[in-house]
This record gives sequence, C-alpha cells and structure tokens, in this order.
Amino acid sequence: MTERTNGDRVPADLALIAARLGAELRDAGVPADPGRCERFARAVPLARPATQYELYLCALATFASGPEQTETVRRVFSDLFGGVDGRAPGQSGPEAPDLPGPPPRPAPDDLLAEAARAAQEHPAPPAPGTDGAGDAESLGAGSPGDALGDAADAAEPDADQAETARPALASRVERLAVTDFAELTPAELQDLAGLMRELTLAVPLRRSRREHPSARGRRTDLRSTLRHARRTGGHPLRLARRAPTLRPRQLIVLCDISGSMEPYARAMLQLLYCAAGGAEAEVFTFATRLTRLTGALAHMPPEQALRRAGQAAPDWLGGTRIGASLKEFNDTVGRPGLARGAVIVIISDGWDTGEPAVLRREMQRLSRVAHRIIWVNPRTKSEQYRPLAGGMAAAWPYCDAVLSAHSVDALHELTAALARPGRHRPWSRDGARGHPAFPAAAGASVRQPGRDEPAGHVSRQAGVARIHGEDRGAGAQVDPGQVGPDQ
Amino acid sequence: MSDLSGRLPDVAALVAELNAAGYLTDQPLGVALFLAARMGQPILLEGEPGVGKTEAAKALATVLDTPLIRLQCYEGLTAAEALYEWNYPRQLLAIRLAESRGETLRDADLFSADYLLARPLLAALDHPGPRPAVLLIDEVDRGDDEFEAFLFELLAESAVTIPELGTRRAAVPPVVVLTSNRTRDLHDALKRRCLYHWIEYPDTERVAAIIRRRVPAAAEPLAGQVARGVARLRDLDLAKPPGVAEAISWARALVVLGADRLDEAVAAQTAGVVLKYSEDLQVLRAAGFAAAAGDD
Repeated sequence: MTERTNGDRVPADLALIAARLGAELRDAGVPADPGRCERFARAVPLARPATQYELYLCALATFASGPEQTETVRRVFSDLFGGVDGRAPGQSGPEAPDLPGPPPRPAPDDLLAEAARAAQEHPAPPAPGTDGAGDAESLGAGSPGDALGDAADAAEPDADQAETARPALASRVERLAVTDFAELTPAELQDLAGLMRELTLAVPLRRSRREHPSARGRRTDLRSTLRHARRTGGHPLRLARRAPTLRPRQLIVLCDISGSMEPYARAMLQLLYCAAGGAEAEVFTFATRLTRLTGALAHMPPEQALRRAGQAAPDWLGGTRIGASLKEFNDTVGRPGLARGAVIVIISDGWDTGEPAVLRREMQRLSRVAHRIIWVNPRTKSEQYRPLAGGMAAAWPYCDAVLSAHSVDALHELTAALARPGRHRPWSRDGARGHPAFPAAAGASVRQPGRDEPAGHVSRQAGVARIHGEDRGAGAQVDPGQVGPDQ
Repeated sequence: MSDLSGRLPDVAALVAELNAAGYLTDQPLGVALFLAARMGQPILLEGEPGVGKTEAAKALATVLDTPLIRLQCYEGLTAAEALYEWNYPRQLLAIRLAESRGETLRDADLFSADYLLARPLLAALDHPGPRPAVLLIDEVDRGDDEFEAFLFELLAESAVTIPELGTRRAAVPPVVVLTSNRTRDLHDALKRRCLYHWIEYPDTERVAAIIRRRVPAAAEPLAGQVARGVARLRDLDLAKPPGVAEAISWARALVVLGADRLDEAVAAQTAGVVLKYSEDLQVLRAAGFAAAAGDD
C-alpha cells in the first residue's frame, strides 16, 4: 500500500506489479488468481495505457468479474497506484459505498458460525440411505457414523453406547424438538442439527428441456440409433429414444433477519445446511435491504461460508422493510428469471415498517411468476394469531401455504408443504385480488403444528383457513414419500 | 489474432471504428473489447437488459469485417444444437446406395466432413480467416450448468473434441463474446476464463447521440427529447426501467407516427413502446405523462 508510482510511468517489472495488484485484490476479496494476474500483465503491453485511468481500465477488464467488484478494484488500484485518474481524484477514498467491511454488529458472525459448527458437529451419516433414516427409530437415535472425531460427543452418542444413553437423550431431544426456536440456546439449537439432517427439503419436479436416453421416451435419438445400426450392417433395428429430464424446481428462501426473527433465521440457516436438498437453495436475507447469501453459502466449508454470510448481510437485527426488500428481489433477480417456476419460502413475521400496499403489489408480482409461495410465520403457531398486522394481511392472499415451522417438530409441515405439487391460491385468481375478504372472518387461522390434530381441525371458515384446509384435509401428516423421523 | 494488430492498433482506433459502425461507446468498453480481440480471450459482457450487449458484439464483427456467428442459449442446449450434428438421413442414404452398388463402406467414409453439420460453435472454429470470426454466445445465463461446463474447452483452448473425428482446433480462434443478464450467477470457472465488462447505462447525451445515429429520421429536437424522457422515466420507481433499446424503438415509433416533438399527448399514446408492465404504466399515469414528455 505504500508503494506509489507517479503519473503515467509504468514500472519496468510488469509481472511484479501484476502479482502485487493481484495479491492486494485477493486481500480485498476479489478472486484474483494467478491466471488473471498473467492476463493483466499481457493486457498492458497490448493496450499501452497512456494514463493512469487507462491502466485502471485494463485492470478492471482483467480482474473484475461482477459489477459489485468494480468499486473494490478501483479502491485497491488507487491505493496501490496513487489514484485512478485525473478526472475524479476524490473518488478513491474509503467512502466508497459497497465495500465489504466489518458488519456493524458482531452478532451475525457468531450466530452463523454457530450454525456452521452445528452442521459440522453433527455430520451426515457416511452412507445416507443405508441407515434407515425413516425407519421409525426413536428421535435422536443418532447416525451411526458420527463416532468419528471428537465433535460427535455430547449430544449424540454413537450407536454402540446408544443402548443406555438413548432414553435420556431421546427424551431430551424430543423435548427440544417441540421447543420454539426462540427459546433455545445456541447450544441446544446445535444439538438439533442431527434431527434436521433427517429432513429432506424436496420440492416438486419440473420438466427440463434437457433430455436423457430413455426406453419410453417419445423422441427418437438418431445419433444413438445410428451408432447401434453400425453393428447390424447399417440396419437400424432398435430405435433409441430420449425423454425430457425431470429436475427439482428452484428453491428460494427469503429470510427475515430483523430482531424478532433472528432465532428463526438462525434455525433456518442451520436447516438449509443440514437437510438434504438445502444446499441447492438460493438464499436471500432481508431486513432493510436484500442480500444474496447463496454465493457465500456454496462451495466452501460451512463455518467459513457463514462467516462470510454475516459480512454479506450488514443489516442483521435492524428494522424490517419487507415490501421494499421483495421489490428489490423482484426487480433484480426474481422476475428476470430466478423466481420463474420456483418454490419460494418467505420466513418473516410479517411486521413490515413500510407500506402494506407495497408488499401487496410485490407479492402479487411474485405470485405471477413463482410456482408456489410458502410463508413461514412463527407467530401463526398461536391460537390467537390473526393476520391483522398490515404486512401479513396484505401478503396472505398470495401465499399457497402459511405455516409456523417454529420448532423442529413443526418443520415437518414445511417439508410437506415444499413437496406438495400444484398451487392453492383460491383468491389470487378471481376478482378478490384487490380486496382479500378477511382478516375479520379469519377466525380460525390457527396453526396448531402438532401432528396429532384430528382431521376436523382443518374445518375452518371459508377464506384464509382454506389455505391449509384444502391441502391438509387429511390431517397434518407428512407425505408418505417424505423421509423424516416422523413416527 | 495475428492479423488484428494492423486493423486494431490501439484502443482509440477501435473506439473510432465502433463509432463509425454505428455503435457509440465509451472508453471502458473500448478497452475491454480491444483486449478481448487482441488477447484472443473471451469476454463476458453484463449489464441491464437493453443496454447494448448484443449490439457490441455485432459492431465488433462489423469493425473486424468478419461474420458474426450467434448462439442463443436456452436450457437444455446440447452439443447437437450448439456444436455439430451428423447428417443422419444422408448417412443412411449413403449406406443404401453403397449396398445397391455392391460397394463397401468404411466408418471413415460415413463420418467425414461431408456428413458433418456444423452448428454455431463449430462454424466459428472452422472459420478460415484471415481475420477471426466473432462468436456471440448470447444470454449464457439462460443456459444450464451442463452447457456452461461444455463451453470450457472451447473457451480455454479454442478447440472442441468430436469423438469420431478427434479434436478440432481453430486455425483462427474466434473472438468470443458472451453476454449475460445475471438472472443467475455463472459458474466461477466460466468467469475465470473470461475478461469481464459491466456495461453501464449511458448518460443522456450519449443516449441522444445513439438515437440520432440509429434513427436518422428523428429530427433534432426529438432525439434529445426522447433521451431526456427515458432518463426521467428511469428516475421513476419502475419495475423495468427502459434501456437504450427502448429509447431507440420509442424514437422510431415517434418517427413512424410523424410526431416531430415528444409532448404529453404523444407520450400518452406511445407509452407502451417503452413501458411493458401495467404496473409501470400505472406509475407513469400517476406521475402524469408530462413526466415522460421531453419538455425543454
């Protein structure tokens, strides 16, 4: 940072400069690998930059790979070379807006790191599927594989010791499983990672345009047919066929991380880490503004990823502007493509400090492109809950399901709702769109997440409660195909 | 690559040529395109829709005076559609013909260049030169992961492998331009192989200049008015702010209508040319159509 070179003069050893710039950029979080440094070194003699600014443009074209990196490249470049150009000398200061800096509070780092630790300390069984995750073993019977390492100690004994330890442990975990996330200590939440691992976040399939060989496919695979015909003297005796591949729909999780929602956000991140299928989800957090976490969550150890996620989500524990955050989601990534045909999970208590009209409009826009919208609101666990809060009332008509998912036990509802095919939005299609006919009539918008509800429990008044009533008519059982520790 | 040093001696020459070709650009994009062409390195262009990503590739092809070979990406794009396909009917006919003549056919006879249908990627590699073709891989974010992975060999080596023929290496590697609308994040491995440039929405002056260039029939006050009108629309809280492409088609629409200035009444009639969402039209209606009109 101390080396300064003045004006137009490019120092003789270009390779050294390129490597130095690359190192500084890497420190600032730009993935400046040696290949890119080499590219920069090759670019400079070609473009023959006459000014500092042109040199900066060379660095920008060779090092950056996203608009969010532009400012970082600019800052690092001007630190190293003493400015970017003559035209905007003041631009290089630390006031640059989108620099990755320390988060305003240390809390997210800790929380996320804890979630990551939980995921690591309760590793998945070495051979999932062989240990009978769904075989009605008692809760917390544990995965046989986690005798390895020191991490698997306290919460879950390995299979050998399980005979004696199981009853006590099982009852403890059972108790934790029905406890509200908000009442769990971080350590207790981590103990639940084993249970979360047994869940599967399966979303409905969609028909992809990619094809694969299939005996019952409709389209003839000429390439393969002809290849086989060569063995039979050019006679195509057997027609090879192809059929479209089925793929899971995109799962998008929008996570409210404002103050009151923090325990649930933490639990949800842990769930995404632990449960099968969670890793493919696109994750966004919001409070006052929207932050995309997916890049931070993917392709690195959970601990490190979650620490980065904490830095990436600077508005942790701030106020909530759900409508504005949803609008940002819709405008930037949702409507252009990401949300199309996707299953969307919004985790929020619906307490929006913004205008309800904004939230209503954005939910409407989202519902037109999304496959299903599932709203997870921990407050709906209460019998007394009514969607009277402006935000929740505005959003409700556009949700396909509203559920509490406030404890591990209640998470089964979430997995069931995710796996359910089709849309259930009775009002968003017909004329009631502008004025949803509730919440006054929503006397029974009760979410009792226990699984021993009688089927009659869903006999709700018309309107809101039908969200659950229709598709949960047979009671709150988890889908049969669903792998989970359901008993 | 070799031939380009004469045609593109420096950045300024490229920018001037691009301007002459009808693509008004700024220096950052000029540097990026220059490096892409001279280094033989693929370039990834991103920017909001309608900012001129595809046009940049077209203009580059015009400047280089080479064919533009375009591949539109979509989910499920396979080698058969992007790279090559064997001409099966012709192969079958050849087999029958050989049979009836009592000739013997060998594999090599059937899997030769005669029976190869070159799709865009192969066509770009096979371009004989002397200057490289411009290969536009458009909206690569619409493709899927499999297709991205499939591109790696092409981008890094300017070569593709065809099982029956072996590896085909480009005699004159094409200038590869990829565009993306950022609907999903591209794989890091793909980004690592590319130069990168984010195209900013140009300032009002430049938009006016672009309109004048692209719609010569737009009389003088009109181009500036449309540019300022679009700029004002972009200040409104819109779901889909209009881009340069919308500005051009708005100017074109006004010319077709015979309007010589953009006033409130004309703006109200033609708002649908620039705003494609009913929510956005409502916002504009609430703000008053005068907001879009280019009052001077």
